[in-house]
Amino acid sequence: MKNSDNRLLARAAPNRPHVLAMTCRAATVRERLLSVISEQVHKLSIAMAICAAGFSLSAQGLPITSDRLLHADREPGNWLMYSNTYNSWRYSRLAQVDTSNVGRLKLKWLFQMRTQEKVETTPLVVDGIMYVTRPDNDIIALDAETGRTLWTYEYRNPRRLYPCCGRVNRGVAILGNRLFMNTLDMHVVAVDARSGREVWRTKMFDYTAAGGYAATGAPLVVKDKVIVGMAGAEHGVRGFLDAYDAATGKLAWRFNTIPKQGDPNYSWSGDSGERGGASTWNTGSYDPELNTLYWGTGNPWPDTNGDVRLGDDLYSCSVIALDPDTGKLKWHYQFTPHDVHDWDSTQVPVLVDAQFRGRPRKLLVWPNRNGFFYVLDRQSGEFLTAKAFVRQTWAKGFDDRGRPELIPGNEPTTEGNIDVWPGVDGGANWMAHSYSPLTGWLYTFAREERRVYSKTEYHPPTTEETVAGFRARPVFAPEESFGKVIALEPGTGEIKWEHRVLTPPWSGVMATAGNLVFGGTLEGNVFALDARSGKQLWRFLGNGPVFAGPISFLSNGKQYVSLAVGDVLMTFSLNAE
Amino acid sequence: MVMVFRKLGLLGVTLGLWLDPLGAQDHSNVIRNPFPTADDVAAGARSFRSQCAACHGLDASGASGPSLTTGNFRHGNSDEALYGIITKGVPGTPMVGFKLDGREVWQLISFLRSANVSKGAGQAKGNPGNGAQLFQANGCAQCHTAGKPGGFAGPDLSDIGSRRSLAQLETALLDPSAEVDPDYWSLRGRTKTGQAIEGLRMNEDTDSFQILESSGHLRSVWKTDLANYEIVRTSPMPSFKSKLKQSEVEDLVAYLASLRVESGNEVPR
Repeated sequence: MKNSDNRLLARAAPNRPHVLAMTCRAATVRERLLSVISEQVHKLSIAMAICAAGFSLSAQGLPITSDRLLHADREPGNWLMYSNTYNSWRYSRLAQVDTSNVGRLKLKWLFQMRTQEKVETTPLVVDGIMYVTRPDNDIIALDAETGRTLWTYEYRNPRRLYPCCGRVNRGVAILGNRLFMNTLDMHVVAVDARSGREVWRTKMFDYTAAGGYAATGAPLVVKDKVIVGMAGAEHGVRGFLDAYDAATGKLAWRFNTIPKQGDPNYSWSGDSGERGGASTWNTGSYDPELNTLYWGTGNPWPDTNGDVRLGDDLYSCSVIALDPDTGKLKWHYQFTPHDVHDWDSTQVPVLVDAQFRGRPRKLLVWPNRNGFFYVLDRQSGEFLTAKAFVRQTWAKGFDDRGRPELIPGNEPTTEGNIDVWPGVDGGANWMAHSYSPLTGWLYTFAREERRVYSKTEYHPPTTEETVAGFRARPVFAPEESFGKVIALEPGTGEIKWEHRVLTPPWSGVMATAGNLVFGGTLEGNVFALDARSGKQLWRFLGNGPVFAGPISFLSNGKQYVSLAVGDVLMTFSLNAE
Repeated sequence: MVMVFRKLGLLGVTLGLWLDPLGAQDHSNVIRNPFPTADDVAAGARSFRSQCAACHGLDASGASGPSLTTGNFRHGNSDEALYGIITKGVPGTPMVGFKLDGREVWQLISFLRSANVSKGAGQAKGNPGNGAQLFQANGCAQCHTAGKPGGFAGPDLSDIGSRRSLAQLETALLDPSAEVDPDYWSLRGRTKTGQAIEGLRMNEDTDSFQILESSGHLRSVWKTDLANYEIVRTSPMPSFKSKLKQSEVEDLVAYLASLRVESGNEVPR
């Protein structure tokens, strides 16, 4: 998919509800659905076929070809991958719900997960069927119209697992008739999207190695490969990014995010890189034109004690640009050299073609956990600019190559340093950003807060006694800790507006062609903001913490918005006038 | 440490049983903390700030994790039990096992023993019996519960002696606004239709407040319906600085310090 194409399409689809409502289904699909699914879906597909009337923009139903993934933007009624499209805009081209009618958005159905865990999942939607993961590693196919379960795939994890931060999962990827999920015990599974039956299962790595490995992110399918990351940088693991053959489950390539000793980019004292972290626990992005995969890497280990790993600690806290066919590194950029603040750079990379200093460029834009918004050239990896989007105390600026100039006094101390901004959970974290081609702005949910930064003693990693993190909660005045949805100009990092919320958030945001930005708070508010002004136009009290990102899709020709609030997946649609 | 616990033992048989790790053991193989000196307490305080403060608060009085200053630990009060909790964690809770060397663990325990606020209760100068009468005479129960049902505008004081030191109790009487728990902040404002709104802030989110009005009504208010509002972080409680003699303040402090959980009734936070 070319980004320029995407933008043209977006412009060609202004705020007229009917056009995209007509993104309906071909008769062949109807037949397939009829043969597989319930009467409810039967009715739905008939309605869809009626409304279709020749308006089909693309092939429909299963299988999902790699070509359909390339052009996922042409199927606005579906949500075909974690970030919706390969450029990771997480932008819905649906515009039935817009700034004029969003006040009529009402709860349509709930799906109750009944879990104590955080629900961080982004569902996929394929022509009226939703695929959603539930902690630990279950996949559930739902009727997207009603929320009724079609099938459940239960993956049996061992009782003892080693995720740093909850037995979470962020979703599946799809190709052909198969869904792909990575598991907390470091497997990748392929599951038939029709039956919910397992097709293959591949072990990625020994999950009990070092202090414990886990895999929590949503995979990304590129061509015929399933790209899968891993977690464990709090446990002294050695990071990698894997590609598996979607057909067979065989490992196609592995990129080690810490180079071998002797490599010119091995920048770790002694053998500290062997357990240096640099995990890959969130989902990356893909530029088909440049045939380049972009993926963020996690913190170096031990998190807050840099004395035992002197050097820049490459490729921790970096973006790596890889050839998706071979896993070969094209370039890298390190946001935080020798990080001691747990500022993972595992944010989702957003690919935008925009003006930079008067000239159109292929940009990679990145609100980082360290509090800076970065603009890179995604072809060359060149650092273009960076600007703080939250309060930060650690860098006074950047040199021409994008190396931060440090301000002393920000290092963790044995007594605990409480004067460092942003805090350990960062100005941004893993939560999804969204880019709207209508406004030309990037939306992100930023965190303003500080924490206690303590330097702990070094212990070799082992799962026998997995070392406690220093997970902290705010112990400061409430006015010092809050969240804000911000609209950023991608070429400059200039903040166009901000919408404040009470508590530092964990929710992703989604911009839509209805000029809305959706998201949720840790206190349980679900909101829609005017994408141009930031004004809140709609609210709903879901009364549970939001740890996921919203999606939008069509069911029965009608636009729906879904978001997990607490352990309940909530789906909204417009009430009749 | 041993001296401290012996003194505590004098407070009462029941109390002594759960404050004194020696008394709390029901077998003879008692493990004694080998690092009980003032230097060890100071070292433990440093470790605490580094390892524990993120969840238990900088002064151990609790944050997301429970307060550790009450002298009563939910999962075991003996030094031996504390050693196990610190090194092995508490299954089913965010409390994980910490990989520390033995000395550091013992020093942490020494610090926790020193942070026990209720052990100071025995040093209260005043007469708790007089204090109880003053509590009634001054109308404290209009806003506070202390053992038997009372008012709800102020904190429940039924176990306040386990959670506040003598100095903190005195400050609360003389300067009530010096430290107000965010749970007791109040909302004061006016709706767009001109109605005054005031009440204890029971809950808040980005869009709304839930309040308890002095009439006892619980209600929810959308922020967008308010023309203006402020969150009042001072205490509505009057200062007793000029109302009570110093000896009466001491009696009241002694009474409050005597309000503690009984053995087996854990402080829930």
